[in-house]
Amino acid sequence: MGYNRAEMHVTFWGVRGSYPVPGPDTVRYGGHTSCVEVRGEEGGCLILDAGTGLRGLGQKLAAEQGTQAVPAHYHLILSHVHWDHIQGLPFFQPAYMPGTRIAIYALRAAADELQQVIGGITRHEFFPVPLAAVPADFEFHEVTPGKGFVIDDFEVMPVALNHPFGAVGYRIDGDGTSLAYVSDTAPFTGLLHKQHFLAGPEELSDEDRRVLEAMRGDVVGALRGCNTVIYDTQFLPEEFAKFPHWGHSTPDHALDLVDGIGVRRLVLYHHAPSHTDRMMDGIEDTYRLKGHRAGIQVVVARERMTLQIGQVTDPGVGP
Amino acid sequence: MKLRFWGVRGSFATPGPHYLRYGGNTPAVEIVSDAGQRVLIDLGTGITELGKQLMAGQFGEGRGVLPVLLTHTHLDHIQGLPFFTPLFIRGNSIRILGPELTGAPLTQVLQNQLNGHYSPLYGLENLAAGVEIDTMRPGASLPVEGFEVRAAAMPHGGMMVLALRISADGKSIAFLSDVEYPLSGPTADALALARGADLLVHDAMFSDAEYASRAGWGHSPVSSAIAVAERAGVGRLALFHHSPDSTDAEIDTIVAGARRRTSIPLFAAAEGPAFPI
Repeated sequence: MGYNRAEMHVTFWGVRGSYPVPGPDTVRYGGHTSCVEVRGEEGGCLILDAGTGLRGLGQKLAAEQGTQAVPAHYHLILSHVHWDHIQGLPFFQPAYMPGTRIAIYALRAAADELQQVIGGITRHEFFPVPLAAVPADFEFHEVTPGKGFVIDDFEVMPVALNHPFGAVGYRIDGDGTSLAYVSDTAPFTGLLHKQHFLAGPEELSDEDRRVLEAMRGDVVGALRGCNTVIYDTQFLPEEFAKFPHWGHSTPDHALDLVDGIGVRRLVLYHHAPSHTDRMMDGIEDTYRLKGHRAGIQVVVARERMTLQIGQVTDPGVGP
Repeated sequence: MKLRFWGVRGSFATPGPHYLRYGGNTPAVEIVSDAGQRVLIDLGTGITELGKQLMAGQFGEGRGVLPVLLTHTHLDHIQGLPFFTPLFIRGNSIRILGPELTGAPLTQVLQNQLNGHYSPLYGLENLAAGVEIDTMRPGASLPVEGFEVRAAAMPHGGMMVLALRISADGKSIAFLSDVEYPLSGPTADALALARGADLLVHDAMFSDAEYASRAGWGHSPVSSAIAVAERAGVGRLALFHHSPDSTDAEIDTIVAGARRRTSIPLFAAAEGPAFPI
């Protein structure tokens, strides 16, 4: 399969879950939290999540923006608003350049609530600059699972995930190829996350089982035939056994979900803060092999790594 | 009395190969008296590693007692809170003493940090450890067992933060992070708090050259830290709250420049082992 270097590609600016992890053990895979840049052939740009990785991306975009006469318009698409997915927002350099427009898409009951939530992270107690004083113009868009929307040349389809307070994954089609971002989510069996605190696993009701089954069906439907799937695989199986109620998956859960539905490549993402580079090497070895057996190329997300979505990079795995 | 820096970085954590020697975690400082009593200053990402290590002792058994002093609640000073493992062990007793300098009650600010939108903890009441939150007022002497603690309000951009003086075992530490003085120089309160301290830990986020374009951001240039150290006659100066844009090499340069300008012994705070005061 040939590819055009300019066609849809993604760059990982933050690959870590929960909180940023500096230090010698995260140098190779990276310590910043969730943030992925999606670029299309025509130059369209989507930003998936606004974790601490967003600061580095913002520095790059601000430098690019400085050379252009047209004010930039950025689209930040959020899976949910837990801190590790929004913490970079107050440090997004283009927001402090007058004329910048920033559209934020997230799953919330009402757009004004979304504005309050985003405004909340720049409250005086948390950050010195309130949202209203930031020079950029902000727009807030509420996302509804199952209701697609179009940004530049991308078709974006949100799908509900199983995570505390609710999260949403996205399938993105463009340049004749497709990408899905599934973070954060627990598996779709055993436990249904709602909007209350879980000190441990909770009994499923019949209704919960029905909801989970439907949710899994929708996620499988959204991922079917998708070229590349980026998936929350925070835990190893032995860690998941201890923390099944924390709202995250293992690489085995991810492989199981994408097996047999025409997915070509699985990207392991949202690594636990405790996973050192050495552990990540082991995870890569283990799951590359497991993926190969299922005909799926498994890649471990690393900070600053760029992946061409249409490109076949593993000769052992067919498209 | 010993001090250990678990986080020295200001504003934003900095993973990556260029921040390994000084460290990339946001503010967290542990002070232990000769009698083994412990107090923390601030809850940046640095406390996550400390929390794991504390679990090997009394905190793992649910018998740990820990006072925490918060200078203020900007995110880099509280972002480690939801990931501090001793908070998840029933029986531990954690007391957070912080200011109410923005008008919002401290408990409410921390509840907002943990609300369901932002955190799967859904609120302070779900932390298994006993958490007590108290307000500390500028000028007051604070009841922290084993230490003498005094707080003073300092200007930090458009708001105020608390600076601290912590004494035990005949030694004193002055902690002035996230401070920016008026053009007239260090305030009388800052000098009084730092007077004769054995160690002054001071905000030195920017080199003087960088500060020129960042005045009003609420942080000090290196020259402010030196001015307080000299005028208050401290024993040693630790430059603290390094800019997320300062690499190890750039901090080396800042330290070398600062040493040429004063005879007060000084160093840049770095994550690493505890050292005696």
